[in-house]
Amino acid sequence: MSDPNQDVVDPDAPVVGMDYFMSLHFEERICPVVRRYADALLEGKLIGHRCPKCALVYAPPRGYCPIDVIETTDADEVQLADRGFVTNYTVVTPVAYYGQEATEPFAKVSVQLDEPGGSLSLQDVLEIGVDDVRVGMRVEAVWVPAAERNVDEIGNRSWGSAEGCILGWRPTGEPDVPAEQISDKVF
Amino acid sequence: MAGDLAIIGYAQSPSWRAAELTEPQFLFPVITEAIERAGIGRREIGFTCAGSCDYLSGQTFSFVMNLEAVGAWPPISESHVEMDGAWALYEAWVRLQHGDIDTALVFGSGKSSPGVPAEIFPLQMDPYTLTPLGVDPVSLAALQARAMLDAGKITEREMAEVVARSRKSAIGNPYAQVTGDADPDALLAEPYFTAPLRRHDLPPISDGASAVVLATAEKAKDVCEHPVWIRGIDHRVEVHQPGMRDLTTSVSTRIAGEKAGVGTAAVDVAELSATFSHQEKILREALGLGDDVDVNPSGGALAANPVMAVGLSRIVEAARQIAEHGKQRAVAHATSGQCLQQNLVAVLEGA
Repeated sequence: MSDPNQDVVDPDAPVVGMDYFMSLHFEERICPVVRRYADALLEGKLIGHRCPKCALVYAPPRGYCPIDVIETTDADEVQLADRGFVTNYTVVTPVAYYGQEATEPFAKVSVQLDEPGGSLSLQDVLEIGVDDVRVGMRVEAVWVPAAERNVDEIGNRSWGSAEGCILGWRPTGEPDVPAEQISDKVF
Repeated sequence: MAGDLAIIGYAQSPSWRAAELTEPQFLFPVITEAIERAGIGRREIGFTCAGSCDYLSGQTFSFVMNLEAVGAWPPISESHVEMDGAWALYEAWVRLQHGDIDTALVFGSGKSSPGVPAEIFPLQMDPYTLTPLGVDPVSLAALQARAMLDAGKITEREMAEVVARSRKSAIGNPYAQVTGDADPDALLAEPYFTAPLRRHDLPPISDGASAVVLATAEKAKDVCEHPVWIRGIDHRVEVHQPGMRDLTTSVSTRIAGEKAGVGTAAVDVAELSATFSHQEKILREALGLGDDVDVNPSGGALAANPVMAVGLSRIVEAARQIAEHGKQRAVAHATSGQCLQQNLVAVLEGA
């Protein structure tokens, strides 16, 4: 005979947490402008779209200018520089959440590219420690060797990414760009 | 109170099984067309409200990127609902009642193609008792259809007839995804997908968007020759747990329909979000629509089901019936949740 009270929960027992893992699968077709951007990356080139109205350069191209609300096309394509300067950065101190592989603090920077312009966000910095990363620092891209490049992580969602083709950005040693010159380029 | 509002512009994208473009990219021409049709300038819009879903997109804050299709610089006044665009329209309707602005832009958009609906939708259910079971919309709809069959409220032939009529109606609709001449006998000869539902009783998986421009009466008369008036709009929600309600009726649709004034005059046409074939009969009954009412001349959700836009598209299609096909009084219906849990009803009229 079983104990009739065995299923009664002790109201004073501590609350017990439980992990419930789930996963979702997404597979998205790459839109044509990002496809072109990815193909250019494989050739060691950065491309963007320059708005024919306001002349802002979008990298990667989006197919439109959200400021002027006009569509952009291949005719608005420009090749971009792979040099520029840091406009902003974040030092991430990893916490051990599920799936986090990093253990040490790392920096992600936004790079404003030299003429004709455009900016890439969430880029890695090479050759220096996180304490030496600063706004205005001039950097250049370090490309993955051509034979080893891939665009596996380039998708419609990864605006600004050059993962698999650009390893990161290293300081050029040139004088910093003064902060007052980049106050409108904080992103 | 600003009183009756009007639809002065609308547009839809086609419904694609898998769109090549991103959500902001295919929203772009839809929003532009709706504003151009309204005959107003983009900067005249006083309020913008969007409906979309991060889970569908597989991206946090995906609605922020959708704003790139609107023109949000210099900054605009905008809001977002994690619901079908029909509820974004409701929020805009409420916002316009304040009387300090005279136009609003509403849009709904979604890409269902990248994800797996049967994985995603259980996540909107009760996380303790339902999500771990993996209850997906098709399984729940099948239980609902079974309850209707068992209660003698519908037959499998009637379900097949809804499908055949919807696909045929969709033939002339450039925005539809599933069209064609289908014979109910041939449909009934097909195997079950999730009994008692056959594959054709299910909606297609769709990507797409739709948009509406609303205006106060004064503004509408100013800029639009034939505005479509929203005479009533209401939405009601029922208990979440599907086991706690009678799935063969829709109390929330009935109440929303009464509050919106569906029964106060004859209805010419109705656009219903009957996402599964058997739901059309539940909705017809709840709204008191007789056989003389033209239901889903667009083909409805069985012909095109861009989740997060499909309900707003019913309002667009109902407005189209009045503005382009000479109908006088139309009912539009949108739904959310499982088995018609939450329902919105709008009554539209011509001049």
